[in-house]
Amino acid sequence: MVGSDISTSKIASIKAHLEKCPECQQEYDSYSLALEKTKEWLEEDRPDWVEREWQQAVQKAVKEKKTVISPLAPWPFKKAWAFTVMGVLAVALTLLLVIKPFYFGEGIASDSELLSRSQAQLLRSAFQESQQEVVKMTMVLPESGQKIVWFFDKNFELEVKE
Amino acid sequence: MWMKNEDELVSEVLEGDQSSFEPLLRPHRQGLLNMAYRMSGNLEEAKEICQEALIKIYRYLYRFEKGKSFKSWVYKITVNSAYDYLRKRKKSEDIIESQKRQDFDYGSDPEKQFLNREIGTKIESFLQNLSPKEKAVFLLRDGDGFSVEETSKILKCSSLSVRTHLSRARKKIRAQFEQANLGFKREVKSEV
Repeated sequence: MVGSDISTSKIASIKAHLEKCPECQQEYDSYSLALEKTKEWLEEDRPDWVEREWQQAVQKAVKEKKTVISPLAPWPFKKAWAFTVMGVLAVALTLLLVIKPFYFGEGIASDSELLSRSQAQLLRSAFQESQQEVVKMTMVLPESGQKIVWFFDKNFELEVKE
Repeated sequence: MWMKNEDELVSEVLEGDQSSFEPLLRPHRQGLLNMAYRMSGNLEEAKEICQEALIKIYRYLYRFEKGKSFKSWVYKITVNSAYDYLRKRKKSEDIIESQKRQDFDYGSDPEKQFLNREIGTKIESFLQNLSPKEKAVFLLRDGDGFSVEETSKILKCSSLSVRTHLSRARKKIRAQFEQANLGFKREVKSEV
């Protein structure tokens, strides 16, 4: 109530109590007096700038502005040490990309490596070509030597042929 | 004369117009100095705190969100600068020297001048007996009239914390008033 920090609904009930209770009234008086005097003093005793000093302070603030990193700059760019780490990482990555082919396959290959590569290429092309339209399946009976031949289309559906 | 509002001045400063910085801060200049002065207890130190705060305000103005209270924002920076300053001062153990009271002009009446100075010195010492947080809460709420919510935003703490510190600060001041026996006579007050 003294500092105007309680709701108006509570003020009424406190007021009613204060009227009945001299002890609380005394307490309240002493409290509000201390606060009132302090506030008065805070209001009266307010130092102010000498105009020249104020202008100097403002000018100093404006001149002392250091280079500010854009607010859009990501976090690491705001730290000097992060620049160093980023630089080292960039150099390491570049070296890795330049040197890697010579150590991991893109460099000079041996004859066996070239052979296995060409075989792999052949297999790949054979696989691509094997997507044939018709599949023929032959069964030979061991007892009579009779041959039975089935023809299937690419969807593996039976296709009768002579 | 047409006065520019704070948001316009902020935009101008951000666009590089340094001359708009002073009019932007002028309405708050005494409040900021006063806040720093109450926190430190010394005018010269208060000016140093304000200088530091002004540098930060200019440097980080782009972080200020337009539409929000510029006053609260500059007070927040000043209070934080004061905290930093007090922390450094505590380390250097220069408290006694720094709490020397500065002289002010209290008016032309010599008797009133003497009484005010005596009371002022005592109240000043009461304030210096509060913790930095209690002092900040008390000065913002009771000195500068910020609401509990505004104070909690400035100090980056909960409303409950503000109320607790405020209550503690008031109790301490009141206890010191009684202890010092300042001898004010209670005037009859009708308002509660």
